Amino acid sequence: MTKPTCEDTLVVKKRDLKNDYFSLVLAPFSGAKSIKPGQFVHIRLPSTEIYFRRAFSVASVNPVKKEVEIIFKVFGRGTKILGKMRKGDSLDLLGPLGVPFSFPNKKERAVIVAGGVGFPPLMFLAEKMIERGHNPKQIEFFYGGRSKTELVELSRLKKMGIKLHLSTDDGSAGTKGLVIGPVEKYLKKHLNEKLKLFGCGPEKMLKAVDELGLKYDIKGQLALEALMPCGVGICLGCVVPLKAGGFARVCCDGPVFEIGVVNIAC
Amino acid sequence: MPVDLKCKIAGVEFANPIMTASGCAGYGEELAQIYPLSNLGALVTKSISLKVRPGYPPPRTVETPGGLLNAIGLANVGIDRFLNEKVPFLEQQKTKVIVNVAGSTIDEYVEVCSRLNDCSCADMIELNISCPNVNEGGIEFGTSPKLTEKTVAAARKVFKRPIIAKLAPNVTSIVEIAKAAEQGGADALSIINSVIGTAVDIDSWKPLLANINGGLTGPAIKPIALAMVSGVYRKCKLPIIGIGGITDYKDVIEYLLYGATAVQVGTALFVDPSAPLKIVKGLKKYLKEKKLKSVTELIGKVRR
Repeated sequence: MTKPTCEDTLVVKKRDLKNDYFSLVLAPFSGAKSIKPGQFVHIRLPSTEIYFRRAFSVASVNPVKKEVEIIFKVFGRGTKILGKMRKGDSLDLLGPLGVPFSFPNKKERAVIVAGGVGFPPLMFLAEKMIERGHNPKQIEFFYGGRSKTELVELSRLKKMGIKLHLSTDDGSAGTKGLVIGPVEKYLKKHLNEKLKLFGCGPEKMLKAVDELGLKYDIKGQLALEALMPCGVGICLGCVVPLKAGGFARVCCDGPVFEIGVVNIAC
Repeated sequence: MPVDLKCKIAGVEFANPIMTASGCAGYGEELAQIYPLSNLGALVTKSISLKVRPGYPPPRTVETPGGLLNAIGLANVGIDRFLNEKVPFLEQQKTKVIVNVAGSTIDEYVEVCSRLNDCSCADMIELNISCPNVNEGGIEFGTSPKLTEKTVAAARKVFKRPIIAKLAPNVTSIVEIAKAAEQGGADALSIINSVIGTAVDIDSWKPLLANINGGLTGPAIKPIALAMVSGVYRKCKLPIIGIGGITDYKDVIEYLLYGATAVQVGTALFVDPSAPLKIVKGLKKYLKEKKLKSVTELIGKVRR
């Protein structure tokens, strides 16, 4: 584990990605260069109403400028406050925290499954894979959401040269239906290749990816989300049940777990 | 002139009066990744029971205004694994170690305490007779003066170093329980454990904790805890370790003025793992400003 840093940072850039999605770039954060895809930062909100930090997976970093980008959708009290932050506002950041994704072998084809607001750590993963020499054409990025407006940063993903497969519940973009349908179809067609699954999204989706991995004997990793009072492993509040019995802390035993390990509830 | 933060409880000297509260710092490993534990007055471990306890299923925590409701279920590795896996690490740390002990029967308390008596790493033990979440985790001992005395006396027989009794706020008279603990042979009191509470989802109509009830901690409970520290200080001679909602050095000073000799920081560690370091810094500055030589000069000095 890299020693986490706790620092005040400034919002240096804010982008409205529409439909309540926002991107915030925070800097300077001296821990930025050590953040790996799948890891998260724990953010203290400038609010007297909210006492605990909120965890956000990192969407990208700029190690030179010591920038950390998070992308989120305004959903609850915490994200509501974050969504109102402006350039120049200060935020206290603790991180990097958690176990990151393991990069796939360059010969392996990465099948990435992103559901809704679960896409940022996977976009970061794809970006870093390419930076490390992975052929973008060997990255199949399945991205699903309720409707077209729920799929954000599409031009950014397209620019990466990866194979983007969109799906929406209402059919307003890409294939109609849940993201898992096209994923299974793809896996079935390519079972003779070396594949690696990666997933982040709603629990139902994660459970489905977990089941696909086990069904077709494809290894991979899932990034989980949980309410985390501490984020560093001391409160034991964020646990998930394991298939082998007992519990694991999402914050420091995860948030990235191997397929087949966690008993995903939904 | 340098200020002195040292304090003493039952003959054990602490570098400063800031300890971690049980259940809020694990066994110290995670915090030690962030800063040396020598910055703490003492590390108080998670409750150790005779057998390993996996704890309750999630959801285990709910954020409430100014606080946290938790029902972790005394998840811990049990005494065997504690001695084998955690003690070697704790022995390397340059801080005092207080091992918190929970049990479902007096025999279990005795067994764990006796094993800890042979473990020199445990400078003191803290008897958890007040966990609100686990029926067999202490609360039945800590809500009856008779059982409090009996449990403490039984532990006293097998553990030769100082014993702290950690008291529950959910009692008719905490002073009575404190006196019973003193009678049983306790050397100090930790006041208070978490306050019983619950919360419910108004859409699903389901409780927000799997265990339904939980223990409330955090700034919301500080006034409750302060009143209890104050009440016990006036009626009971044992040194008090104040617990409940301590976030910064100002909170610590309030506790000391009302009679606490030391304090434990709990929920604040979840927001800022480095809170104890900031508190120590703040305390030093305060003592200098007030021209006090030692932090002990504040104990019980409230002007009534």
